[in-house]
Amino acid sequence: MSSTKRYWKDLGELHQDTEALKGREHEFPQEMAIDQVLGDQSFAGASTGRRDFLKFLGFSLGAATLAACETPVVKSIPYVNKPEDITPGVANWYASTFYDGQDFASVLVKTREGRPIHIKGNPRFGINRNPALDKGSINARINSSVLSLYDNERLKGFMMKSGEGMVSAPEGEVDEAVAKGLAAAAGAGKRIVVLTNTVISPSIKAAVAELKAKYATVEHVQYDAISYSGLTNANAKSFGARVMPSYDLTKADVIVSMDADFLSNWGSSTEHTWQYASRRNPDGSMNRHFQFESRMSLSGANADERTAIKPSELATAVISLHDQIAKRTGGAAVGGGSDMDEATKRAADALLGARGKSVVLCGSNDEGTQVLVNSINSMLGNYGSTIDLANHTFFKQGDDAAVAQLVKDMNAGSIGALLIAGVNPMYSLPNAEEFKAGLAKVALSVSFSAYADETASLCSYICPDNHYLESWNDFMPKVGEYALAQPAIRPLFKTRQWGESLLRWSGNDSTWHAYVKGTWQRELAARGGMSAAFEDTWNMAVHNGVYSAAATAAAAPAFSGDVNAAAATARKAAQAGEWEVVLYTTEAIGDGQHANNPWLQEMPDPVTKVTWDNYVCMSPADMLTILKSDDFRDLYIGEASPAKLVKVTVGGVELELPAVPSPGQKSGTLAIALGYGRGANGERVGRAACVTDHNGEWKPVGRNAYPLTAMNGGTMSYSAAASVAFTGATYPLAITQTHLTHMDRHSVVKETSVGVYKAGDKEAYNPSHLLAVHEDVNGDGAIDARDKKPVREFDLWEEHPVEGVGHRWGLSIDLNSCIGCGACVTACNSENNISVVGKDEVRRSREMHWLRVDRYFSSDTKWAEGRAEGRSKIELYRKMEVPSNSPSMVFMPVMCQHCNHAPCETVCPVAATTHSNEGLNQMTYNRCIGTRYCANNCPYKVRRFNWFNYTTEKFGEVNPAWDDLGRMVLNPDVTVRARGVIEKCSMCVQSIQAGKLEAKKAGRPVKDGDIETACSAACGTGAIVFGDLNDKTSKVRGLATSDRSYHMLEEIGVQPNVNYLVKVRNTEEEATA
Amino acid sequence: MHSEAAIREPLILGHKTYGDITNDIVAPIENKAPTGWYVLMGIASIIAAYGTGCILYLISKGIGVWGLNKTVDWAWDITNFVWWVGIGHAGTLISAVLLLFRQKWRMAINRSAEAMTIFAVIMAATFPGIHMGRIWMSYWVLPLPNQFGSLWVNFNSPLLWDVFAISTYFSVSLVFWYIGLIPDFATIRDKVAKPGMKKVYGILSFGWTGNAKAWTRFEEVSLVLAGIATPLVFSVHSVVSFDFATSIVPGWHTTIFPPYFVSGAVFSGFAMVQTLLLVMRKVMHLENYITVKHVEYMNIVIIVTGSIVGVAYITELFVSWYSGVEYESYAFINRATGPYWWAYWSMMTCNVISPQLFWFKKLRTHLGFTFFMSIIVNIGMWFERFVIIVTSLHRDYLPSAWNMFHPTWVDVGVFIGTIGIFFTLYLLFARYFPVLALNEVKSILKVSGESYKRDAANHHHH
Repeated sequence: MSSTKRYWKDLGELHQDTEALKGREHEFPQEMAIDQVLGDQSFAGASTGRRDFLKFLGFSLGAATLAACETPVVKSIPYVNKPEDITPGVANWYASTFYDGQDFASVLVKTREGRPIHIKGNPRFGINRNPALDKGSINARINSSVLSLYDNERLKGFMMKSGEGMVSAPEGEVDEAVAKGLAAAAGAGKRIVVLTNTVISPSIKAAVAELKAKYATVEHVQYDAISYSGLTNANAKSFGARVMPSYDLTKADVIVSMDADFLSNWGSSTEHTWQYASRRNPDGSMNRHFQFESRMSLSGANADERTAIKPSELATAVISLHDQIAKRTGGAAVGGGSDMDEATKRAADALLGARGKSVVLCGSNDEGTQVLVNSINSMLGNYGSTIDLANHTFFKQGDDAAVAQLVKDMNAGSIGALLIAGVNPMYSLPNAEEFKAGLAKVALSVSFSAYADETASLCSYICPDNHYLESWNDFMPKVGEYALAQPAIRPLFKTRQWGESLLRWSGNDSTWHAYVKGTWQRELAARGGMSAAFEDTWNMAVHNGVYSAAATAAAAPAFSGDVNAAAATARKAAQAGEWEVVLYTTEAIGDGQHANNPWLQEMPDPVTKVTWDNYVCMSPADMLTILKSDDFRDLYIGEASPAKLVKVTVGGVELELPAVPSPGQKSGTLAIALGYGRGANGERVGRAACVTDHNGEWKPVGRNAYPLTAMNGGTMSYSAAASVAFTGATYPLAITQTHLTHMDRHSVVKETSVGVYKAGDKEAYNPSHLLAVHEDVNGDGAIDARDKKPVREFDLWEEHPVEGVGHRWGLSIDLNSCIGCGACVTACNSENNISVVGKDEVRRSREMHWLRVDRYFSSDTKWAEGRAEGRSKIELYRKMEVPSNSPSMVFMPVMCQHCNHAPCETVCPVAATTHSNEGLNQMTYNRCIGTRYCANNCPYKVRRFNWFNYTTEKFGEVNPAWDDLGRMVLNPDVTVRARGVIEKCSMCVQSIQAGKLEAKKAGRPVKDGDIETACSAACGTGAIVFGDLNDKTSKVRGLATSDRSYHMLEEIGVQPNVNYLVKVRNTEEEATA
Repeated sequence: MHSEAAIREPLILGHKTYGDITNDIVAPIENKAPTGWYVLMGIASIIAAYGTGCILYLISKGIGVWGLNKTVDWAWDITNFVWWVGIGHAGTLISAVLLLFRQKWRMAINRSAEAMTIFAVIMAATFPGIHMGRIWMSYWVLPLPNQFGSLWVNFNSPLLWDVFAISTYFSVSLVFWYIGLIPDFATIRDKVAKPGMKKVYGILSFGWTGNAKAWTRFEEVSLVLAGIATPLVFSVHSVVSFDFATSIVPGWHTTIFPPYFVSGAVFSGFAMVQTLLLVMRKVMHLENYITVKHVEYMNIVIIVTGSIVGVAYITELFVSWYSGVEYESYAFINRATGPYWWAYWSMMTCNVISPQLFWFKKLRTHLGFTFFMSIIVNIGMWFERFVIIVTSLHRDYLPSAWNMFHPTWVDVGVFIGTIGIFFTLYLLFARYFPVLALNEVKSILKVSGESYKRDAANHHHH
């Protein structure tokens, strides 16, 4: 062996075995035969026997069968050429406009990978923008509208009548047939009527004009399902302009609303809400709001002074108010006021104290009543300040008389063709049967409805309109105000914008986009003053969604109405009865167009908290009288306590609906919501309009109350004398909040009057919670009950290091600005992929909403007073459950309070819910095993459990996450939760993360206002403010440290990152105290 | 051998020899079971099968098939859990605590009481499992090393303490029970003739020889295990009560809970022992071993623990008033006068008022009445847990969240089902295991046997 160090590869080399070393010079063995390599001599002579053959055959067959089992195929198609504007994972926002005849709003559409997934108000432009907060005010219907884009029941193409049903038809064929039909009608000298909702689009008006140019007999009839004819006719009589004026509530120190629910649906409500809220800050000058109404409306709930009246008393109340003001302003009184003189006197006093800075609104559709209201506003000098007729709106142009005449003419056979857009007269007309008979006599009827709805399914052709998110459109909401809608996605189906259809039939081949642009070029040129080149103006308008021309100066036109004649017709129109019914629209469903939207159906009504149904609101006292009971608990409606069915009869029309006790409802009145009962004859009007009920029947949600409306004195009337009877049957209702009062729990709801607040003693209206300690705190040398410390100084746990360290996200909620509209609830649904669970699950109190708006009615029984009188606790507790007959109300949005000492976090056995170092209470879905201990231990009861797998077919009727199309609305940044896990408000952690990343990319710290949660962005009144509590300059920090700020249930020491601001009412009694 | 005062009543009636005891206890194992056994077994197994079906349905569909909601997230599930755990208390108390106190009367009942404990704890442990939204992840409650980095269980959570408490209790009870069974299995092994049975009982008896050394060790081990088991009797239900006591729910957040729960548990456990033994002594002809005296002793325990529970209820009411906390005060007034008043008053009647009837000797020695009362107490104790859980949750801090709970057929099915499973297991035990600790009973025959006592008395007299 050599003495040098050697390395060897194997023993052969070590021992220098010649046999083994043979052939080592070749890297690869050269001469080896394949048989040798395989090393098996028997291989060549192997034979396959019969048994082996069968074995192989069996194996192969088995293997092939197994391999053929279906494995999920996931199609994921990457961009070959990346679109310039689309980066996966980054949202694009487009300015657009929502208008459906009832609501108008400039909006921003959030799209992800080309899909619109979320809508919020345009914070920079539009008439619904709150300039003080840079927020666009919208309502639940508007932000929920994104979901209807993905409704699988929308028509997928053109349809034509074939026998009794509709069949799909090629676009060209339909165009040809319609053009022929129109020519025939015009040729026969018969009228061609374009029946629409209020059209505020200059381009549509131009297109109708173009159609008229081609066919001379064309005329345009506008029809609003919820009519304002009374108001617009009154303005025609009073001022010579049949318009709805612009109201500016920011200038109104006193608002008197005569049954106008201006915070919910009346008029241009997306403007009213923010204008109203901007005057509800007790640190500024608060407005004073009087409301006269029959049912508890959203506006009534917010009023400082509310008077319940019967609908038939409205006219006399207006006359009363009119005469008191007339007497003191030197105007002409009409005489014959009401016995509500005390209430109207207080309102009149307030109005007279704010001449030119007040407004009287009136929700009546009676012309005479509205003329009187115009007279009042005129006497008060409100025209030109709070009411602007020069820059009037273009909303609510519908004319009841014209519609009534049209139905007559159709039956008379003088209508040759009817083109129907945006309205559904078969559903919303009380004389629908008459309309149907007339429609049968119209040779050509075309509907532009997106669904084969009640009216469309009777037409000869349906040319479905695009969804608004697929459309180009323009609008002129007010004089000088323009708005644009741009598509955020290509049309999903073979639909065509109805304006473009009109163009086709007029022989104009222009696209709708080009046509709209052309109209604008003409409009703007005609207005003059267009400084830049049109292209630039246009592009800017598309970008902003809005173009504002110079406003006309407001003027105070002279009132020229005849108040005596008006008073006479107003009195005549009032239909008094033992029972009177009021028909209204709800915050969620409105006139019924969006009844197919499951987010809206599951949104609790702000006042009654009922979902998925309409019902008869009755005064609890009336119900108890009829039921011969004195126990309020007999009226309880819950999971196992169904509502009692009543039969309401109005002029021979009967309607059976469940009765809901509604505190504040005027005794002797009934209130029924319109907009329900869509698709009663089996029409496919959209996904959630009809659902399977508790009896397993597929039925419309609620019942249609439009047949109870009637023409009265030339306009549609929404109130009438009625009779009511309990049928003895019951009906299950799904209510999210079954308890009505706050039981005098002052650490839940804190409220005060403006007088007490202005006096400046925080302890008087927002006392801090003190606990007695065994040490001499006050330094009087004795340890006694006077030695107290604030609750925040008591700590069982070590402090979370959140104060002053990095971010600490928080929300501040102003109970004064919150009007209870619920837009935050649906915004949260949309942002956070919240499952819709349907009526039966809501009935079992299992709605999944992360954010709810609690509402409490006041009770006549007060704890402190009752105890002082020596009444027993048991008696007081029971009585405090009973709401007052004329209650005041408070709305309180409640989401996860993100406690710094969260009770949920300590009890989870697997640490699935933990605290972030930014103050968030986080929920880790895939760690959760579903013990629900956290939900039990949450004092705010904000945690929601996935009782079932909500993406299964069981929930397919209602939950958008079930079908392929509906799933497109899901926010890809938020997990869809599985069965068996808890979920809750995350404070939109995905938006926080995105905001932080944006700031990081820009190389700067996160600024206040960079990040908004879905709820705070949706809140046009600014009641919900989000921000960093550790940022000393942030708005939320300022609010959280203000004197009005308190934490809900402060005494239990959970230290929430959400704070509330005490509600301050502008009430007279205490204001002077 | 020490002798017993003549004034003490005999614990074994009639004239029995050691051989008689063996024969009496082994007879049901050796011979065909009585018809009654088949009837009971038939009923129990049908209910057990239905309950198992309900549990499988629950697991396949989701917790939503129960009646829970956003406000009441626990109801029958945890009520049943606590109820079964409580029942499981008597066995260990009888065998361990009474062993330490040298109570001879325990010998006739400890075996079956321990068996009851084991089965009750199995039933109890079912509920925390099936009440989880994702039972397939239930092993996450164990502090197992994992691949999730530093992810660990939350040691602050009382639910986790439950996991430890219940599993410890179950293990110790099982070992204690089995150790006691070993000599008896050996006796059966020696007695039975069929070779198959001989083999099986041979394996079960771990090669017991019965020599003096083995008996010494047996006694030592029993004493050691009794020492370990005794604190567990108190710890388990204390820990279960922490689920509530450490929370912030008004009506749960109560420091009195640990002793209150333990005495309630003993109360319900003895009631269940009564229910079972009164039937078994009849069906298995054990009247001479499980005597009226035994029943009376247990009834005395029921009066004592029932009274402690009653005091606890009243203390709760007092503290809710004295604390001045409005939520606390409301929670208790709501229990008594709110929508669930009937549950509260059922609880009060069954647990506090009715056991006081046992002050009458006639009633506490009346077997039929005792059986009736044992059922009443068990109903009452179920309501106690229901009252604590549901009536506290259904109206807590925010009136906006106030709600009611309504059980579904699955809630009922699962509960009834666990009773069926429990009885099935117990009946199997009664058929194949020695239902009395026969070797222990033999140890007191000469001292406490009726005939021997008489003889001793006569002898003394002469």
